[in-house]
Amino acid sequence: MENNLEGTGERKLQCDDVSKCFQLLESILDGNEGLDSQEVLKSKLAKCQPCFEHYHLEQAIKEVLRTKCTKHEVPSQLVENIRQKIEEIK
Amino acid sequence: MSEVQRKKYSDQEKNRIFDEEFMPHIDSMYNFGYRLTFDEDDAKDLVQDTYLKAYRFINSFEQGTNAKAWLFRILKNSFINDYRKKSKQPAKVDYQEVETYYNSDDVDYGITSDLRVDSLKDMLGDEISNALNSLAVDFRTVIILCDLEGFTYEEMAKILDIPIGTVRSRLHRARNLLKEKLRSYAQNMGYKTDEEE
Repeated sequence: MENNLEGTGERKLQCDDVSKCFQLLESILDGNEGLDSQEVLKSKLAKCQPCFEHYHLEQAIKEVLRTKCTKHEVPSQLVENIRQKIEEIK
Repeated sequence: MSEVQRKKYSDQEKNRIFDEEFMPHIDSMYNFGYRLTFDEDDAKDLVQDTYLKAYRFINSFEQGTNAKAWLFRILKNSFINDYRKKSKQPAKVDYQEVETYYNSDDVDYGITSDLRVDSLKDMLGDEISNALNSLAVDFRTVIILCDLEGFTYEEMAKILDIPIGTVRSRLHRARNLLKEKLRSYAQNMGYKTDEEE
């Protein structure tokens, strides 16, 4: 997946398998990978510029989605209506 | 409701499960319903139907399992089976076409390289919400479930009745589409999109 540039301090500018790498990075970001995923992440971000950019952009998008998306308040009558209907079918 | 009936709960147990395990999720349920339908009344109907079904089929719910995921699955099925059928608008998603196009590596990298993290942080909540809302419902749904509601891929697979591999790839494609929308917003609003810092 990556050329071995470890130790050179430079990141390669092209990722050899963008889809596979990006999906793995997203899965790590979403907390769906195993315990060793942080090591894999560290290594990928250190070696590959597209992976580095993708991860940080996805992280930022995830954060703004979570914090900024409009939330709608539950209409006041809804809970009462549900309870009333439940009583009717009991 | 495909789960095998495990045991019959007493009325007292039913009421406890309903009050303590189902009702606390009404906020997330209503927002999910609203984000699927974009209509307050439809969202209310969907949530009400979901809770009535949840009560009716409460014996299919296994205590100790994820009640929120169970409820989301019922709501999503109600949306597909009831709401979409009732709605005069046909499903707008030409899913195959979109999915095939966005399975391209060029798209992956092209989008990543010209949307800036800084400009995202400057965007308003409405701009972020509008970008999400403009996605086709199947793509919108995976982002809502993952990023807004925090479900795991395994839970999403169960809610959507699709394999985990499809959850991963659909989410990846949904994110590419969202980035494209966000990039358009950024350009229109005059945020910088040209170079990464």
